[in-house]
Amino acid sequence: MPQVLLTESISVELGAQEPWPNDVKLYQCFEVEQILLPDNASCLSVQAFLKMCNLPYTVQMRGNAEHMSPSGKVPFIKAGAFVVAELDPIISFVGNKGISLTEHLDSTKKSDMRAYMSLVNNVLGSAELYISWLDVQTYEDVTRPRYGSVYAWPLNRILTYQKWQQVTKRLKVLGWKHKKLEEVYREVDHCCIALSERLDKQKYFFGDNPTELDALVFGHLFTLLTTPLPDNRLATIVRSHPNLTRLCQNVEREFFDRTPTKMSPVASGPSSSDGVTSPPNGNNSSNGNGEDYDKLEDISQIPQ
Amino acid sequence: IFSLKACKLDFSFVYLFVFFGLMKLVCILQSSHRKFKDRKQKLQNIRKKLAELRLKLLQVKLGRLKARVQRVHVDGISRTKDDIVIGSVRDVFTAADFQTVILRIHEARMRLENLGCFKNVGVLIDTYSGDGAYDDGIEVTFEVKEVNLLGAKINTNVGNNEGSITSGGMLRNIFGRGEELSTEYSYGTKRTSSFHTTFRKPFHNEAATELSTSIYQQASEAPWSGYKELDRGVLLSLAFATAPSIEQKLILDGAWRHLSCLSRSTAFAVREQSGHSLKSALRHELSLDKRDELVFPTDGIAFNMKNEFAGLGGDVGFFKNELNFQLNLPLVNEMVVQGSVQAGHMLPLRNNKTHCIIDRFILGGPTSVRGFEMGGVGPHSDNHALGAEMYWAAGLHFYCPLPLLGRGGSFSDKFRLHSFVNIGNIGDFDLTDNYKRNLENLFKDMRLSYGAGLAMSLGGFARVELNYCIPLILQRYDRPYNGIQFGVSTNFL
Repeated sequence: MPQVLLTESISVELGAQEPWPNDVKLYQCFEVEQILLPDNASCLSVQAFLKMCNLPYTVQMRGNAEHMSPSGKVPFIKAGAFVVAELDPIISFVGNKGISLTEHLDSTKKSDMRAYMSLVNNVLGSAELYISWLDVQTYEDVTRPRYGSVYAWPLNRILTYQKWQQVTKRLKVLGWKHKKLEEVYREVDHCCIALSERLDKQKYFFGDNPTELDALVFGHLFTLLTTPLPDNRLATIVRSHPNLTRLCQNVEREFFDRTPTKMSPVASGPSSSDGVTSPPNGNNSSNGNGEDYDKLEDISQIPQ
Repeated sequence: IFSLKACKLDFSFVYLFVFFGLMKLVCILQSSHRKFKDRKQKLQNIRKKLAELRLKLLQVKLGRLKARVQRVHVDGISRTKDDIVIGSVRDVFTAADFQTVILRIHEARMRLENLGCFKNVGVLIDTYSGDGAYDDGIEVTFEVKEVNLLGAKINTNVGNNEGSITSGGMLRNIFGRGEELSTEYSYGTKRTSSFHTTFRKPFHNEAATELSTSIYQQASEAPWSGYKELDRGVLLSLAFATAPSIEQKLILDGAWRHLSCLSRSTAFAVREQSGHSLKSALRHELSLDKRDELVFPTDGIAFNMKNEFAGLGGDVGFFKNELNFQLNLPLVNEMVVQGSVQAGHMLPLRNNKTHCIIDRFILGGPTSVRGFEMGGVGPHSDNHALGAEMYWAAGLHFYCPLPLLGRGGSFSDKFRLHSFVNIGNIGDFDLTDNYKRNLENLFKDMRLSYGAGLAMSLGGFARVELNYCIPLILQRYDRPYNGIQFGVSTNFL
């Protein structure tokens, strides 16, 4: 045990001395065929954070990204000799190099921000897991074909079932397993109300400069807005708070600068599944039900 | 000063004198020991010749005695089916004289014991005095004791530089023809553990065919590459012997492999390959063993060939060949020269199937090219071996029994003095049609190591080696091991 702690602290020390390398890679699952709702939210959050810090990176897609990751979760980045997974460790890894988005905040605001981040992680993160894995219709139509799409039969069945067991156990510990779908939607609504009240009429959560909270909220809300699921209640809930959608549009326009052109749907992945739209990277497109959810500008025109 | 110098010279003379004296003593001892050995050898030769003469006389006497078997009883059968028993003892009726009768009875007894149904077989021979008895009629009774249905076992095994202990239970002779269902759990010193359930059905024909199917789960670690592997799978195999001392196996293997990194410091090139893969493969193994002994052979050749085709299903596809050849030549004074060659080649299939580090070859270690760490020859990344698609290795060994002790007792017989030269190469070579270019490629970056040490036979089936190795020719990124290296295994280069 002491040996592990020592290597961790040494690696933190060493990491602080090097500048951000030029060839940092971000690893995630295949966007069009494989990635699921919760993973997509995490990947988007990390990408938004790195873009907000103005740190260059390239995206690498692997079918086994989840198993490559040292913590078992996507996304993870490879910066030189270091492999760091998930948003919070990446924030501290970047912080060790002296780059931070919250230098201008005082300690009360920082703890406020952390509280909101943990709210988003607990509520939205668990809700996304619940919808993907415990809601029967979504599980059958979307999650199961997508998760097993990179494996051969019978491995796709076995691995999906194993992951389902893991997620169920985790949600049981968090106290979400017994909730009904309506309760989950209500929790998401409460969370969105809290965020909306905090955001009010500001551009970002803490003034005019984006912080980690903005990246995290953007990741989750953009995913919820633009993922076509069999039941689109989540997108409707988020859309009912116009300042949150405005935040997402701002972040997308400023940091991902995508031109709002309509892209043709790519015919890949299981045809019965609903595709997950790409994060604003410009090289993949959605496979939605004929409607293109890429453009957030049109959100107000889409019938609710 | 003059006297001091003279003293010093004196002492050096004394030392020289003592040294020469000791050498002479050793020589005398050796020559007297040799004379003693010669005399013992001569006595043994005379005794052997006497025994041969006696046997010839007996054979002449027995050969003239007429006898034939008229009735055979087999007592003590409950579960075992009749047809295999009858098939084993049928030959006994063909004998015409007493000597042949005894021989056939002995063979039948061996066959009954090898059925896997009986614990011990006793033979009773008597004259036959029933209906239709001839003068020279004989009645043979085989008294057999069947094995219990339920059995347990615990034994130790030697693997690749590790020892393991296996324990399990089995059901023997389930349907009456020697079938066996066994469940085993084994744990090794290098943290490998495996659990498998096997059903075996021997066919009791001339080719000694045996069909076996098993379900297994096996976990092992490969610290030289920084990963650990968990395999779960199903095996179906057919083993048969097409000629005496040639054994073949046809295996259908479906395995789900899970590769994960051992620690955070595993090289990224290995981390990239973690995850799950499904391999379904057809494998053919052929082995020919004409050596006179398993551990320290003095004469004979051994040849081993494995061909594997993966890609019948699943996501792993390759075509792999491996062969292994050993030649032993005896010299004077019980010294043996042994040459061995190993080579392997893997062709990955270029359709949408892949392969990973588990399927690649590694070279180096106390059981292959000595003088290097395990997996220490070949491409490395961050000090972790990556493996490659093709390798060859050759070794020239020289064994001699311990001096001054010879083959006197059985204990000193287990040891040999051993010296070797090992060469080898591994990599992703590009083979073209130009043979000269291919040979150049293969030999260009060859590694060489030599050394000497002590080898001991363990249980008559495995060997323990303690060698002082000196790697002479190496390449960049290899991990050599200069010094005393310890190895235990059943197969060495």
